[in-house]
This record gives sequence, C-alpha cells and structure tokens, in this order.
Amino acid sequence: MRKLFVMLAVLFALPANAHNVVGGVYAIGSTIEGEAGFSNGDMASAGTEVIVTDPAGNVLMETETDEEGFFTFEATARVDHLFRMEMGSGHVLEMVLTAEELPESLAAGDGAVAAVAAAKKSDGKAVQYDDAAMQSMIEKAVAKQVKPLRKELRAFQEKAGLQDILGGIGYIFGLCGIGMWWRQRKQTQAAKAA
Amino acid sequence: MHIVDGALSEPVLAGGALLALAGVAYGLKKMDYEHLPQVGVLSAAFFIASYIHLPIGFSSVHLILNGLIGLALGWAAFPALLVALILQAVFFGFGGFLVLGVNTFNIALPAVMVYFLCRHGIAASSPRVAAIWGAIGGAGAVAVTTMMVAGSLALSGEAFWLAAKATLIAHIPVMLVEGFVTAAAVLLIRKVKPEFLHLAEDWDNA
Repeated sequence: MRKLFVMLAVLFALPANAHNVVGGVYAIGSTIEGEAGFSNGDMASAGTEVIVTDPAGNVLMETETDEEGFFTFEATARVDHLFRMEMGSGHVLEMVLTAEELPESLAAGDGAVAAVAAAKKSDGKAVQYDDAAMQSMIEKAVAKQVKPLRKELRAFQEKAGLQDILGGIGYIFGLCGIGMWWRQRKQTQAAKAA
Repeated sequence: MHIVDGALSEPVLAGGALLALAGVAYGLKKMDYEHLPQVGVLSAAFFIASYIHLPIGFSSVHLILNGLIGLALGWAAFPALLVALILQAVFFGFGGFLVLGVNTFNIALPAVMVYFLCRHGIAASSPRVAAIWGAIGGAGAVAVTTMMVAGSLALSGEAFWLAAKATLIAHIPVMLVEGFVTAAAVLLIRKVKPEFLHLAEDWDNA
C-alpha cells in the first residue's frame, strides 16, 4: 500500500496540463488583439472563426485566427466587445473586452478614430506629437511589455497544483466517511430499536 | 471528454441534468453500502486520471477509466462520477457546472452499459477470457462516451458526423490504452482482491 502511495506521489509531481480553452483580448489603442488556444500549449487552428458582437448581440465583424491563434480587430466604438469562437469538439471560448479598456477618443456610439489614425502617420519628429498620439504610443509600448507577463500569468492560473489534487481526493474520502458514518448511525439506531 | 460551458443549448443541458439526476438517484438506491469504500476509491481514481495527460504525438490524452468504474460499481458509477466531475470542475476547471449533468450522463451511462454487458465475461474462469472482456469493456466505454459527446454536440447544432469522427479518431489511442489498462486491472484484481469486483459472489453462485 505504501508503495502505491509513493508511486502516486511521484505521478502527481509530474507537470500536467488541463485541456481547457484559454485566450485573451487586449486593447492597444483602438486595435484589439486577441489570441486563443488550449491550455496544453496548442494554439487555435488557423482559420478558426471569431465572431465579434456588441452587448446587444449585433455582429460587428467576423474574422479568423492566423496560424498562431492570433486575431486583430479595429474597434470603432467605445462599447463592450464580445468575442466568441468555436474551436471544435465542444470547445467554445467567450471573451469580453470592456469599454473602459478602449481609448476615450473613441465615441461611445459609432465614433471616428481620426485622432489615433493621424497620430500613426506622424511618425517623424517627437515634437509634433499631440496628446492623443503620445497616449496611443505609450499604450502600445506598455502592451508590448506586458504581453509576456499576461501569458505567464494565464499559464499560472491554469495550472492546478498538488494542493488541488490532494484537496479533491480529500473531499472524496470525506464524503465516503460521511456516508459510512450515516450508515453506522442508522445501524446503531436499528439495533437499539430492535 | 469534458464538454465546456457554453457549447450546448439549453434543452440539451436540461435533458442531461434530468437524466443524470435520475441515474444518480437510482445509483444511490442500488448502491450496496458495504461497497462504499470502493465507490470512493474509484471516484478518486477518475478524478486523478483526467488530470494526468499522456503526450501522444501531436496531442495529449488522458485516461477516463469509466469502463473499469462501471465493471466495479454498476449503477453506483453515477454518484461516483458525479462527485469526481464536480471536484474536477472546482479544482481544475474541467467542464463546468451547467454541463455537469450532460457530462455525468455521457460518462456514467457507458459505464453502466459495460457493467451489464461485460460482467459475465470478467467473471469467467479463464483469465484470458476475463482479460479480453475487460479490454472490450474499457475500450467500449470510451467509444460509447465519445459517441454520446458527439451526440450532445449534434443536438446543439454541430454536425454530428463531423464532430463524431473528429472525437472518435482523437480517442482511438485512448481506447487502446484504456483497453489495456482495464484488462490489466481486471487480471490483477481477480488475483489479488476478487471481492473488489464482487467476483467471489459470482463464483459462489456458479
């Protein structure tokens, strides 16, 4: 029995991944970048359909992922964006990008991205940058830096540890214990009544 | 094998929940309390089995063990699997709470089917025959579960044959491994602990 426990303990120590769908959407200025994949490291297969809707359910755009499970979407309104993708065999991924993450320069309704677009063109001298352009540049730079961290954090969240496994087994044994105690009590009562 | 939240339509979710509820209720009623520890151990085995992924080629698979669980528990497989699936959803994020009923039904019903189809086989006096029936039970339970998963998806709109073929092909290695594992387990249990599969009772009756 002890041998079995040691064997199990060794097995638990091996890193294993849950086979779940994971993904994220991030706003970089008015551009929304997203990625989708499975928690074992595989990315969504190329050409997976991504349906972008607003909170009312109106389809804003349908796009597809590239080979690395990436997709981009140009936001034109500062509203919540819902992303839904079907990755086959019952794997469905739904992601939300809240309106707060999008730049204020986008109108709450259907606004223009003129300011940002203009800023993108003036990539010459720093002096010429106005506030909006500066802001979009900073957002871009920060997004680039934060991206690997986001990935790592997500991987960390997905990883179930030894505690989870032991906890689960503990629950199962505990439930069995309750069942046996309940049964025991009934038997004792029956014995007393007899 | 675990369908996630959001993939199925409401009627399928409700139907699965009702069927699973009926199965669990019947399982609890039929469960022999002398065998409660077995139920717990196998529930724990299933809980872990889905967590340990074996890399096979480009993908990874995990054991399901529902054939073995069915052979050992019969109808009690329903409560055992429900508990394990709840805990997997809580701890690992496998599946989800809305689809719990569907998942329980899809995995537990094949287990019960295997119980009724293969019980006689594994109680056979020849170890070889018993091992073959064990393998059939192990692989068969996975195959039926795969079909049921595809069926649940089909009822919610996904094209049945496409989904069924994709999941079935992906699970051929699982079926092979599962067949071997179940056969080996049956052989081992027959030798070491026949009462675990209630075999002694069958042998006495024979």
